[in-house]
Amino acid sequence: MTRCIQCTRCIRFASEVAGVDDLGTTGRGGDMQVGTYVEKMFASELSGNVIDICPVGALTSKPYAFTARPWETRKIESIDVLDAIGSNIVVTTRTGEVMRILPRMNEDINEEWISDKTRFAYDGLKRQRLTFPMVKDADGQLVPCDWEDALLVVSQKVKAAGGKVAAVAGGLCDAEALTAMKDLLNCLGSEAVCTEEIFPCDDMTGTDFRSNYLLNSTIARVEEADQILLVGTNPRFEAPLLNARIRKGWIHNEADVALIGKKVDLTYDYKHLGESGDILKELSVGKHPFWKTLQKATRPVVIVGSGILQRSDGPIILALAQALAEKLRQSSQGCTDVLTTTEIRLWCCTMDAMATVESNWRVLNVLHRVASQVAALDLGYKPGVDVIRKHPPKVLFLLGADENALTKQDIPKDTTVVYIGHHGDKGVEMADIVLPGAAYTEKQGTYVNTEGRAQQTLVAVTPPGMAREDWKIIRALSEIIGLRLPYETLKEVRERMREISPTLTRYGNAEEANYFKQALQLAQSLKGSLAPDSLSPRLLTLKDFYMTDSISRSSRIMARCVQAATQAMQSKY
Amino acid sequence: MAAPGAGVRLGGEFMRKVKPIFSSNEAEARQRVISLYKAWYRQIPYIVHEFDIPKSVRQCREKLKEEFVKNKDLKDVRIIDAKVIKGQMDLVETKKMWRQKHHVMNYFQDTRNKQPTDFLSKFYAGRE
Repeated sequence: MTRCIQCTRCIRFASEVAGVDDLGTTGRGGDMQVGTYVEKMFASELSGNVIDICPVGALTSKPYAFTARPWETRKIESIDVLDAIGSNIVVTTRTGEVMRILPRMNEDINEEWISDKTRFAYDGLKRQRLTFPMVKDADGQLVPCDWEDALLVVSQKVKAAGGKVAAVAGGLCDAEALTAMKDLLNCLGSEAVCTEEIFPCDDMTGTDFRSNYLLNSTIARVEEADQILLVGTNPRFEAPLLNARIRKGWIHNEADVALIGKKVDLTYDYKHLGESGDILKELSVGKHPFWKTLQKATRPVVIVGSGILQRSDGPIILALAQALAEKLRQSSQGCTDVLTTTEIRLWCCTMDAMATVESNWRVLNVLHRVASQVAALDLGYKPGVDVIRKHPPKVLFLLGADENALTKQDIPKDTTVVYIGHHGDKGVEMADIVLPGAAYTEKQGTYVNTEGRAQQTLVAVTPPGMAREDWKIIRALSEIIGLRLPYETLKEVRERMREISPTLTRYGNAEEANYFKQALQLAQSLKGSLAPDSLSPRLLTLKDFYMTDSISRSSRIMARCVQAATQAMQSKY
Repeated sequence: MAAPGAGVRLGGEFMRKVKPIFSSNEAEARQRVISLYKAWYRQIPYIVHEFDIPKSVRQCREKLKEEFVKNKDLKDVRIIDAKVIKGQMDLVETKKMWRQKHHVMNYFQDTRNKQPTDFLSKFYAGRE
């Protein structure tokens, strides 16, 4: 029996928001059926939203259906950290475990949608968890022990290292832990605090100006853009909700989209300019034929994926994007003679208002892939682990670093690796000491999304076993080393964060960043050449989307999604 | 003295006159405290014997002193009186064997674990 009343909301969601025309109806009258016509999967990264949309519960969440009743669960309003968008979510818990994750309305970020990874990867929070502190014994086996013992061993190693200490922060760290880690290492006399995610950072470009690493035009205003240029990014899988925004602009605002990079399915039409970085170069000097089209735009947006900025020529790509963005900003302000009819209407109505809109319009955008990156850069972390490769440390802290940026081969044999984090993933494989931390549903932590908006997660369940909140582990360690960090409560840590950067504690606000011109002036003095390889993002098809971090990698549901997506690609339909 | 009472003019200043429970001044309250202390002090050998508690007379007297010294900073006569009344009631209950062994032993809190107070012990205990 089906509860379906053929309201076709799911069909309309699929074709309008998700952009995948797989759902439809067959039959007439009483025989009408909603489905995918043939044996086919609803292959979208936003597919879970049809569960929320369905008014009668004919579409249910497969992992959650009939496991709990809504009146017996607790709902905690939190933030998603599995991509850099920072979707607002409600974490539903019962008996100390997460039962499901639902979207929470936030018009500035995720509207009322969340991606499938956000919604379904929560079962990864119950698998592969680190629940005991562990220290390697004489045989090279990690053996569970007490916190006292583990912290003592770490402190002895750190004291013996004499300032030769380094830290690598992964993609899921909260700003509190990042602050404590940096403070501790600075107290020990080390500046080697890095993020695992690379970002161009030399004297010319990079992280000194906040505008260089933010999605400056903000997610909500992307839908107002009339010309969007994507550079080396696949927003559909790197940030599904930004892609939904672009699609919204494409449908309702007649935005034109162009892409430099690998040709991928973005769910809307776009002009593919090519794969080479040279196109960006030609555009930035106004030589490319597409420049004429771009020039006419009144609200242009350039979105650069942080993935391609990780190559050796990343700084050049960023500098070219900066130059192009600045050129576009000037041309968009000066081109009153090429207005379309809508614009003329707007122009006549609110001439003053429009002028200010255009001068506030921001063109350059960087789309990050991990949730902790912006906070880490705000705090002054060095992007990339080159510093550690050049100056091998005696003790290396991995703060949830699971992407294998550093391997055993990159560091000397006698280096002690201390892993602080919640999942037994790639980082733990090389660790000598493991200190179990809390996942994002288990701590009150600050995360800054790719537009620079600080938001906080709230505690939904307690950390499993002997796991503790990450910043507390670092604070306790500092006390045992004998360099007591000057904060004991969350409030005091946040006070310290506010000292470093006030934007980190202004929850809900996306602070604007400026100094585009100054950043560009610096970037223009950059020397170097583009690499010939194509500007290809890492996530190309749906099966790449599901497993990207330690939580989703340990999720069974995500594994089955990968399986289903792979089968769907091979399917003859 | 913050307790409610009738306001009167006293030496040109507005003072609150409080209705006393027993004692009208501090000296009187002190006298009551000392007599309660003595009464407990004399009762202790019998308590140790009758309740068969694993404590000596000396230990109990130390505990008695400790319990009284806890309140050494009380200044409000009404509160001192109230405490004395409570102490008197406890004494009667103990004397008449309305209490049982564990009620008496509860003064010693032998089995209670101390709450962690500093950051590190709270961290080890896994408490906020």
